[in-house]
Amino acid sequence: MAEENSHQALAPPSGRPPGGGPRPGGPHKRGKRSYVRKKKVCRFCVEKVDLIDYKKTEMLQPFLQERGKILPRRMTGTCARHQRWLTVAIKRAQNIALLPFAAPI
Amino acid sequence: MEERLYDLIFICRPDTPEAEIDKLIATLEHAVAERGAKVEKLEKWGTRKLAYRVSKLREGFYVYLALRSTQGELIRELERRLKVTDAVIKYLTVRLDEDIKRQQKLGRRRERRAARRPRKPAAAGSSEQAAAAV
Repeated sequence: MAEENSHQALAPPSGRPPGGGPRPGGPHKRGKRSYVRKKKVCRFCVEKVDLIDYKKTEMLQPFLQERGKILPRRMTGTCARHQRWLTVAIKRAQNIALLPFAAPI
Repeated sequence: MEERLYDLIFICRPDTPEAEIDKLIATLEHAVAERGAKVEKLEKWGTRKLAYRVSKLREGFYVYLALRSTQGELIRELERRLKVTDAVIKYLTVRLDEDIKRQQKLGRRRERRAARRPRKPAAAGSSEQAAAAV
């Protein structure tokens, strides 16, 4: 862990690229188990979505698990506001049988 | 009451003759017109696979309507009709005007921000450039 910190300290304060990605010095050194997590960004914020349409199931599909569960924010990187809208949209779609509540295995 | 926008979707049995569905749509349209409301959109999505079994059926004929009404009473009437129609296996009404209002509000705010942005780009712009340079 000390290795990691020293790398970070060496980097200039604004030197880290905003999108994350591997830092200079490499993430993996001398057998230490460490990796750099890529910063996830809310897909809806990037596309500037103000309304999530429950009728467009192909837009909602990526946020569902195989069995139809809603993926948590920590998996998809969706921001709180868009996740809130997303769950409403998914639940509406479930209600009219566009999306499954629980798909058979 | 102010004007509200609704989405109404209903699913018919896939073996219903198309003529019967058209007749049902016509009666709904009639009820809508009777109360001074408007059908904004009418789409027949056709037979689609259902995500789960409804009344032991695996597919259904989807019909989608967008309504603009000042009377909430109308929705109750439409839903009552759908409920008593045997061909309809499922229906859903969603009130959308509040969501759309929010969407417009956010859109306006975004425009305003975009218009304002050129005034003070110095701080944000320079730090971004510094980050890119390193």
